[in-house]
Amino acid sequence: MRTYETIYIVNPEATGDAYAAIVDKFKGVLTEQGASIIKVDEWGVRKMAYPIKKQTRGSYVLTVFEAQPEVIKEFERRMRIDENIMKFQTVYLEKGFEASAPAEAQEAEAAVEQEEKAE
Amino acid sequence: MAFEKPAGRRPAGAGAPRRRFVRRKGCRFCADKTMKIDYKEIRTLRYFISERGKIVPRRISGNCAEHQRKVCEAIKRARNIALLPFTAGHAID
Repeated sequence: MRTYETIYIVNPEATGDAYAAIVDKFKGVLTEQGASIIKVDEWGVRKMAYPIKKQTRGSYVLTVFEAQPEVIKEFERRMRIDENIMKFQTVYLEKGFEASAPAEAQEAEAAVEQEEKAE
Repeated sequence: MAFEKPAGRRPAGAGAPRRRFVRRKGCRFCADKTMKIDYKEIRTLRYFISERGKIVPRRISGNCAEHQRKVCEAIKRARNIALLPFTAGHAID
């Protein structure tokens, strides 16, 4: 098993139930293939550095999970199909998850700050 | 005008020495081992991109080779997922 981290941007027009359904759906895609999810972090809607699919905002979701390499292929294929996923990126965590834990706490703060600035 | 540049090295007046006056900053990641280079931490990475969104070269940022490589990688990942801009041009909102 390897540790991976996928970050994907959900279309901000999908709110409430629609949004929750998308996040759940992709959690399901991972678990049904035998991957174990370590963490799901929803950053919420934030401004993107450049527009994607004519949207300037996007809802970021960060997923950390342990899986076999083959799982990634299927997971990414499913994300390509879903129109609500505007972009995604999977990174292999060589050092496992623990190493990146403190960094994420800071990032959460940074995200909050950014939103405050935006307002 | 083409001669401006080679001449530019000397003239600064004020008796500037031949050496360039840029002080060499040490690598901040080597100095502070607790600092992590992560593509999600754009606050740290912001320091290493210019206003135009370009990656700041090592001779200016002062990073060591190893850390510059990691910063470079992190910036490219952040760009891919729209956390950092590729250029300032498309920041129309």
